[in-house]
Amino acid sequence: MTASAITRPGERDRLIVKLAQIDWTFTLVLCLIAATGAAMLYSISGLSWEPWAAKHLIRFGLCLALMIVLATVDVRIWFISAYPVYGFGLLLLIAVEVMGDVSLGAQRWLDLGVVRLQPSEIMKIGLVLALARFYHGLSAEAAKFSWRLVVPVVLIALPTLLVAHQPDLGTAVLLAATGGAVMVLAGLSLRVVVALAVTVAAAIPPFVMFVLHDYQRNRILTFLNPEADPSGSGYHILQSKIALGSGGLLGKGYGLGSQSQLNFLPEKHTDFIFATLAEEFGFVGCISVLLLYAAAITIALRIASISHSHFGRLGAAGVTATFALYVMINGAMVMGLAPVVGVPMPLLSFGGTVMLTVMIGFGLVQSVRVHRYSEITSGRGTLL
Amino acid sequence: MSEPSIFFSEVNERQGVFNRRAFLMGGLAGGGILALGGRLAQLQVLEFDRYRLMSTENQFNFRLIPPPRGRILDRFGVELASNRPNFRVLLVRDEINDIDATLDALSQLIPITPERRRQLLREISRSPKLVPVAVAEDLTWEEFSRVNVRTPELPGVTADMGEARVYPHGGAFAHVVGYVAKVSDRDVEAAGLNPDPLLHHPGFRIGKQGVEKALDAVLRGKSGAVKTEVDALGREVRKDPEGDIKPVAGKTVVLSLDADVQSRALEVLGEDSGACVVIDVQSGDLICMASAPSFDANQFVRGLTSAEYRALSEYERRPLLDKALSGTYPPGSTFKPMTALAALDSGMVNPNETVVCSGQMWFGNRFFHCWKRGGHGAQNMHEAIKNSCDIYFYQTALKIGPDRIARVAEAFGLGQTFDIGISGQKPGLVPSTAWKRKQYHQPWYPGESLSFGIGQGALSANALQLAVMTARLANGHKALNPRLIKSIGGVETPSGAAAADLPFRPEHMELVRSGMAAVANDTTGTAYRASQLGLGPVLMAGKTGTAQVRVISRAERASGVRSNDSLPWHLRDHALFVAFAPYDAPRYALSIIVQHGGGGAAVAAPKAREIMRVVLLKDAAIRARIESPLPMPEAPVSATGEVEGEAPPPPSDAMMPAAAATVSGGPTP
Repeated sequence: MTASAITRPGERDRLIVKLAQIDWTFTLVLCLIAATGAAMLYSISGLSWEPWAAKHLIRFGLCLALMIVLATVDVRIWFISAYPVYGFGLLLLIAVEVMGDVSLGAQRWLDLGVVRLQPSEIMKIGLVLALARFYHGLSAEAAKFSWRLVVPVVLIALPTLLVAHQPDLGTAVLLAATGGAVMVLAGLSLRVVVALAVTVAAAIPPFVMFVLHDYQRNRILTFLNPEADPSGSGYHILQSKIALGSGGLLGKGYGLGSQSQLNFLPEKHTDFIFATLAEEFGFVGCISVLLLYAAAITIALRIASISHSHFGRLGAAGVTATFALYVMINGAMVMGLAPVVGVPMPLLSFGGTVMLTVMIGFGLVQSVRVHRYSEITSGRGTLL
Repeated sequence: MSEPSIFFSEVNERQGVFNRRAFLMGGLAGGGILALGGRLAQLQVLEFDRYRLMSTENQFNFRLIPPPRGRILDRFGVELASNRPNFRVLLVRDEINDIDATLDALSQLIPITPERRRQLLREISRSPKLVPVAVAEDLTWEEFSRVNVRTPELPGVTADMGEARVYPHGGAFAHVVGYVAKVSDRDVEAAGLNPDPLLHHPGFRIGKQGVEKALDAVLRGKSGAVKTEVDALGREVRKDPEGDIKPVAGKTVVLSLDADVQSRALEVLGEDSGACVVIDVQSGDLICMASAPSFDANQFVRGLTSAEYRALSEYERRPLLDKALSGTYPPGSTFKPMTALAALDSGMVNPNETVVCSGQMWFGNRFFHCWKRGGHGAQNMHEAIKNSCDIYFYQTALKIGPDRIARVAEAFGLGQTFDIGISGQKPGLVPSTAWKRKQYHQPWYPGESLSFGIGQGALSANALQLAVMTARLANGHKALNPRLIKSIGGVETPSGAAAADLPFRPEHMELVRSGMAAVANDTTGTAYRASQLGLGPVLMAGKTGTAQVRVISRAERASGVRSNDSLPWHLRDHALFVAFAPYDAPRYALSIIVQHGGGGAAVAAPKAREIMRVVLLKDAAIRARIESPLPMPEAPVSATGEVEGEAPPPPSDAMMPAAAATVSGGPTP
């Protein structure tokens, strides 16, 4: 396929051309990460496909297919559905607030009979789409600092507050940070960014002491001094650090991680799977996986920057920001640099919802790449 | 770019801003990942050793295996302290969520009384989290296996087969061998900064007295460990036999004691309060070191109830005190051989010179009495020892002064302690002019010499010292030292025979010894009737002692001294006896003290005879001598058959020719 071939009218709408335009390097990187996850899950269940490894691979296969399908969906359709998706997500969040299922002390799930839906996950995509949709019609001048920015602030604040009230602090932070990242990418004045950062930093201590639930506060205090109660609330962080540190340079060997195999490591198949990896494959293995993540982030940002539409740029970059935040927060948590919040390592951890969200997001990224020349005309600084 | 898509004037500006910001975000993400990598390097490369250790501690559980405690044997290999299997149930608090439920489940399997349960809960709450607590000990095999089968359902509970200390002779060696008991806080403190982990092991017992205490480190051995891999819930995943550390058993300690003699001594002392020490006069080996009344050392191993302890500690005859080492008493007349030797050594007294005993003598401003009302008449040294004449020794002590007597007493071991490997010896006191000046800032009054001369006054000694004194006198030349511990782990300890010679002339000592022979074998000797061993040619020599513990008033003296039987126990005289045998070739020396027992000849000497008989009969050489037929005398002697059995009724002369035949320079009538 030559460059001139796809310039022919109608040529780009052919499915085969669209498939060829998908970034397969990016797809390969994602497959490698998911395969590493499956390998680790196979190891911690005592070299068995059950109960996690096989499921993980099947789920990833389905999600991969979904991503490819979504990649062929015209970016203009993404554009049109942006506000409806956001609105749908918001309605679900309100529904959860009203009649959600209380599990593990938090209202996060909406039981629809067949599937248990976590509306906050839909919101991660919906928020990025809505913000990209809004900024698409905004001038650079207005994006820098103007009264119109009330709209994105409200767009971010509504789901963030609803999710925080569930309470799911990890996702709330993730939503706020993603929204903030999109605003910055869109051109928010750096002076405002710095001022906000200072304000937020100053507001954290009183927030922690007076607003948070006891268990949330304990997690943060524990993070600050995990050795104070090694068998109680500091147990997670301490055991995770032991798993990591005892891995050493080359690790204890595949299937030989005593911390994870003997259940010293909590949540070893979900939030703390990176610690299992670190224990069995050591520093070298960890750096390799981190490089895969870095490659994924770089490629996704590159895709964002070659898009011709502002919606495509911000949408792809927003999804990438979410992904990068997942990696950072989970990594920091596992290494004892951040409090224990329920944020998994995307694609590596076992867990369908996060994988689905991430792969739908990457569907958008791929779509942006496939349809990078598409023009989106409507929506000049308006809601519709 | 074939399709320009410029719809807004600022579109290029927006793209430019986005690209710069995207680059910034990429940089931030890269920086974040770099930071994570740095943190990984810190944890996995720099702090690897620390976390590897913590991981190993998580993964493996080293269960302590206590070593078998070393046995304690007597000279012939008879067990004085050994170990027996002990089935017990242990409980680790850290692994239990609901202690009440666990105890409920356990009480279905083994009997736990409500009282024991309360005590247990207290114990559990006091002990450190990871230290097991013994729920029940000394279970039967059935009870033990019932719990053992159920342990998988009872996390934190283990059925354990340990060992417990046992003292087969019960009380006979309670003081000298001592006992082991539960580790107290003070024992842990004494262990210093890095205490042996064994101290926290349930069922471990530490030596508290006697040899068990003195040689605790040797007897204890080294603990081993079983290495097991455990999961986060503490369940055993697999054993790792290669990681096991074998326990090193404690060393066997062999004592010089003879279990038969010791047991007999305790029997003979019976309910009396006192001590008996028997020593080999050639090697210094202690054959017997008994203190009575005694207590059952096994009770201490399992732990005494407060009522039991009170009963022992409040009893007037003080069973917990080791009277052989810690009890010091005035030696009374058993000290007279020392005074006699001092007199001979001074050259100021001719042994054939006589002193007239009228039963009392005036000195200072009062009368000093002889034990015999009416007196002994004219006495030379030999007769004075034989009759234990007080007046003779008053005069002699007065003549030679206290310091000469003190020098002899010290040379024979009084006023000092010996290195026998166990603690608790009290040195007693040998008075002298220097001591008096130092202690009271007063000169020595001649009246004190009188008391000193007959073994009273400030003078005090323990049973071991009296036995050593007798052994050195019997031995005749060597200042031998007593030895209690014969070997440790098969390594012989130095013999007590390697000692300097005594600085006294052998013929002087022989004179004193012949006096002692007369005490036991002259029909008029103070202990003649009580000292007949009935062992043919093997004869004993000895010296009685009756030490007064109260002052006899002049009025009482006039109306007749009250007999011991009419006095309360604590005011009665101490009865003492020192002896050695065979007289002609001394092998064993003995001392016996019966606290508040009454007269030495009436109470102490018969007991000494019983004990000495066992000692002599156990000695193969002496036994052979007793059993060998008498050499046919040149002229028929009629009385040979009568040597067997009990002492013949006085005033038979049957013994005397035999004694005279074997004793050179025998007693002069």
